[in-house]
Amino acid sequence: MQTGKTCDETMTGEARVRIEGGLAHFPGLAKEQTVSFDDLATAERQEIASLADQADFFGCTPAKDTAGPDGRTYTVGLTIAGRSRELRIAEPIRDPALAKLVSAVRRLSK
Amino acid sequence: MCTSPHRHSLHCILPPYILSQIAENGSPELRAMAVRSLLVDPTMRIVRASTAGPVTGAIARRRAAAGNILTPSPLRTIRDAGGEPEAPGATVVRREGDAPTGDVAVDEAYDGLGATFALFWEAYQRNSIDDAGMPLDATVHYDQDYDNAFWDGTQMVFGDGDGELFNRFTISLDVIGHELTHGVTEKESGLAYFNQSGALNESISDVFGSLVKQRLLGQTADQADWLIGAELLTAKVNGVALRSMKAPGTAYDDPVLGKDPQPGHMNDFVRTNQDNGGVHINSGIPNRAFYLAATAIGGKAWDQAGQIW
Repeated sequence: MQTGKTCDETMTGEARVRIEGGLAHFPGLAKEQTVSFDDLATAERQEIASLADQADFFGCTPAKDTAGPDGRTYTVGLTIAGRSRELRIAEPIRDPALAKLVSAVRRLSK
Repeated sequence: MCTSPHRHSLHCILPPYILSQIAENGSPELRAMAVRSLLVDPTMRIVRASTAGPVTGAIARRRAAAGNILTPSPLRTIRDAGGEPEAPGATVVRREGDAPTGDVAVDEAYDGLGATFALFWEAYQRNSIDDAGMPLDATVHYDQDYDNAFWDGTQMVFGDGDGELFNRFTISLDVIGHELTHGVTEKESGLAYFNQSGALNESISDVFGSLVKQRLLGQTADQADWLIGAELLTAKVNGVALRSMKAPGTAYDDPVLGKDPQPGHMNDFVRTNQDNGGVHINSGIPNRAFYLAATAIGGKAWDQAGQIW
């Protein structure tokens, strides 16, 4: 883990998310959303980086869960300070840190 | 009521809430006596609501052995996630029998679970999700700007919507019925949530979700709107609902959401890798089949076509 980078205000990177599933299928919403760290406030960059560290996003073993009925599956991609990874994460998300990370990426990449 | 020639103080003096505490926390002997007292207590239903947990196993067997079969009633617990992405939510905000809270999402979830329980019990004699009195749990105010509701295997989870495209997800009674019916399907048939079986799974939830609403409104098949989530879309969206069982593919056509992709006939079956193989897309086909059957038979759909389904 590189928790020290969470305080780096010049940190570069981007966050991506593609959402599948849910209570209904909306073709217009089934596309990847991306936000560059350049377009985020320092506190928002730090939030994503900190949550990524807490969830061990770059080191964790990918779960093989599939979403339950009407649950969503998120394909989350993060590139932070040279590290890059993409994970598929299905609801219900039991890991609280990972759930908060997905929530933050989803909201900030809108 | 004391009918035993040997009166134990537990049977006659202690109020139900204390009996309930003893039943949960007392010594084995005291717990057994407290449970026996609760079983003959006419306020058992209230106690059951206050102690939370399914009335199955030992208590159910004792009740049945005593010939003391009570009419099943829902056992609802609503939790508040407070905008955090956690379910179950951290705070219990309404239990069975509690008065309305004034929080509209909490009260809609509570009432919606009750209406769904009532349909399954009163129309089909099914006692809750598992037909064994399973408690009905829900978490509201899940996450922030969360445009979804889902069944997580143990409970229903509702977001508040983003206010731009979607309203709160407790606002549509048929959506609450839809989610709870996923639990019934899971317990009853285990339809795999993928491709055609997944579309059937989705359709069954739409069917019984719609029937919950029709029954509460007292509508006949020809009076119903056959829409799923008619209240969910905000005024900014060019659409009337998430889905139309009567006319699949016509629920919305919006610059942001896109066009409703549901087919209404197997000739138009959609093959896709998205949406678990199109479970929310191809469900339009069996949805329309149900609509056609219900309107052809006529009358109240939960009494007629619903019995067949």
